[in-house]
Amino acid sequence: MSDQAPTPPETGPYVSKVDRRTALAWIGVVGAATAVGAGVVVYGPKTGGDKITRGYGTDPKLTKPEKAPWSRIMTDGQLQTAAILADFILPATATAPSATQLGIPDFLDEWVSAPYPDQIKDRGAIMNGLNALSVHVLKADAGARTAALTALQTSKDEATHKFFRRFRSLTVGAYYTTEAGFKDIGYIGNVPRASDPGPSAEVKAAIESELAKLGL
Amino acid sequence: MATDTYDVIIVGSGAGGGMSAYHLTRSGLRVLMLEAGRDYDPTTETPMFNTNAEAPLRGVGTPDKPFGFYDATVDGGWEVPNEPYTVAPGSEPFIWWRPRMLGGRTNHWGRIALRFGPLDFKPYSRDGLGYDWPITYDDVAPWYDKTEKLIGVSGAAAARNLLNTPDSPPGCLMPSAPPRAFEIFYERAFRKMGIPVIPMHGAVVTGQMEGRNTCLFATPCGRGCAIGANFQSTTVLLPPAMATGNLAIRTDALVYQVDMNKAGRATGVSFVDRKTGEHHSVAAKSVVLAAGSGETARILLNSKTAAFPDGLCNTHGMVGRYLMDSVGTGVTGQFPSMEGLPPTNDDGQGTQHTYVPWWGYEKQKALGFARGYHIEIGGGRHMPSMGMAGLLDKGDVSVGDDLRAKLRDRFGSMIGFDGRGEMIPNDDCYCEIDPVAKDKWGIPVLRFHWKWGEHETNQAAHAVKTFLEVIDKLGGKPQGKVETEGHRAISKGGEMIHEIGTARMGHNDKDSVVDQYGKSWAVPNLFIMDGATMVSSPDKNPTLSILALAWRSADNLANLAKQGAL
Repeated sequence: MSDQAPTPPETGPYVSKVDRRTALAWIGVVGAATAVGAGVVVYGPKTGGDKITRGYGTDPKLTKPEKAPWSRIMTDGQLQTAAILADFILPATATAPSATQLGIPDFLDEWVSAPYPDQIKDRGAIMNGLNALSVHVLKADAGARTAALTALQTSKDEATHKFFRRFRSLTVGAYYTTEAGFKDIGYIGNVPRASDPGPSAEVKAAIESELAKLGL
Repeated sequence: MATDTYDVIIVGSGAGGGMSAYHLTRSGLRVLMLEAGRDYDPTTETPMFNTNAEAPLRGVGTPDKPFGFYDATVDGGWEVPNEPYTVAPGSEPFIWWRPRMLGGRTNHWGRIALRFGPLDFKPYSRDGLGYDWPITYDDVAPWYDKTEKLIGVSGAAAARNLLNTPDSPPGCLMPSAPPRAFEIFYERAFRKMGIPVIPMHGAVVTGQMEGRNTCLFATPCGRGCAIGANFQSTTVLLPPAMATGNLAIRTDALVYQVDMNKAGRATGVSFVDRKTGEHHSVAAKSVVLAAGSGETARILLNSKTAAFPDGLCNTHGMVGRYLMDSVGTGVTGQFPSMEGLPPTNDDGQGTQHTYVPWWGYEKQKALGFARGYHIEIGGGRHMPSMGMAGLLDKGDVSVGDDLRAKLRDRFGSMIGFDGRGEMIPNDDCYCEIDPVAKDKWGIPVLRFHWKWGEHETNQAAHAVKTFLEVIDKLGGKPQGKVETEGHRAISKGGEMIHEIGTARMGHNDKDSVVDQYGKSWAVPNLFIMDGATMVSSPDKNPTLSILALAWRSADNLANLAKQGAL
């Protein structure tokens, strides 16, 4: 998946950003897919076929990781709802792309579809939450949609609250692990350096000022 | 292969096996190394600079890769496919980390390379608990010097002469990179408490070193290092050993038995090829076990003869006994003072740049536990992971610009304090052969027994109390549920991956399994050169000492060979 944000921000249905090679590998599993352009694939309805439920194993290739092998389980309605909620959490800004521009809904599908205990534990809450939310956002007008999304933040219903918190946590994790996320949060590492000079005078001064306030 | 004649068979390719092979091959001995895991090449297999977004599930740990997708552990972790182990009913939890790859755990290890100190070799003399080693710090010091110069260790500093915290002589260490923002910050709280903060000794090449690449000050050491700038057996020990022409390596060879003749000498070993399931026996004039403390004990216990019905070298029932790990406990704090700092590159040199050595040697009685811990402190603006939302307050529900601003502010404001402490050996911690369970090839497996003592749980409680005090002094908030009661705060047995001491060294064949050079008392040409020979489990991480002791032991073996004693 590319970390480069396409422009302008999308206003139509969410379009999966998995690469063509992966999409073709999923055909017969997820359903018929149509390549509509570089890196963009639109899924048709599921047509059955054997689901792949295996993990990546104990010795996966690390330098060029292969895409997660398991079949995706979200319906288009769930994926579209995930896209709306993900962009409510992290919409585009003047300098940073939206969650959907980074393909976060596809990642969420990868996550809830995974055959591992932690992800399986998330599956029920996320899928049920998306199903419940879809009724209020998929065919709603802008006002009703915003009201439904905002209501998630303050919901007193435990399941709803849990769903929102977990969905937001996954979205945030998925977003900030991308290059665009690094830029937005101010992560400037992962580059080779001849030496480590330590923090700048500006950073040191800021720390000293804070330490002084603490009496240290 | 059966027709070849080797001087030495080495079982295992990690710190002990790698160092043994390095010295023995360079001493002119013909060596066959048997490794249970697959061949592994860090130069082509290390995912340096890969981002989490490139990995399935953003690189989070799964049962297939428990320490994360990019961790340099192949076919292993807390469970190894087809190779179970058991924990005895009624035991406290014990977990056992194993990889199945050339170089073993040296590929992913934390690179913390602290010397044991003078008191660590004579703990019984100090306080009447545990057991003394048959050697002193002075016996090992020259081998620490040589080992540090060979593997490349950072942390050079002016001598401090802190009790039981050896300074390395000039010329052994390279300078560490300067303290990072969070390291400057936390140091001031310890200083106020009268507790020293000093440079970490890390097995990372931070300066110019002949024949080695310098660290790139980026990308985590736990993935391994494609340019060999940190210590891995596979980049530092095995290539020069291979270059002698005296080393043959066979991988996927799971050794399960030392073969013996009627005269009571080892003739070689038997192994099963993990890929084909075929059994093989290979011969050599002597055998070195360095399979890791658990696996080494398992091989001995599964090698039964008429003279050793309970396992080789086990006439006194000591094999598998005195199993130890480090005491582990930790608390993380969030620090408003660190919020909103200008972006700074905290990738660093892989290990922490500074740490806190144990400071309480002289008030141990008043503290209520006999042995201490050092503090490893992590923090900074590390490459974002799936846990990023953990930066937010528990009840936070923000979205949009508000959410972005909070995350940006708090990025780098978490600091984690981890105690790593000494455990005193006790009668309730040991491994034995499970009477029923077997691995895929029918070889009996280990059954572990574990119970922390009061000295350890009291130590863990003290560590938590210390961390809370430091966090408070720094104006921070402890994160998550903090366990203040020692039994709850302490790690599981084995969890620190410092399990050692199943075939300890000693003064004679009554009090130990091997002599000070790892030579078994019972079989004149059988040697043990891994952490199994350790007599105590100091707070200092064991790898550097395993390397230094293996070199010392291998030198003794080479001398015996020269004298024709083998």
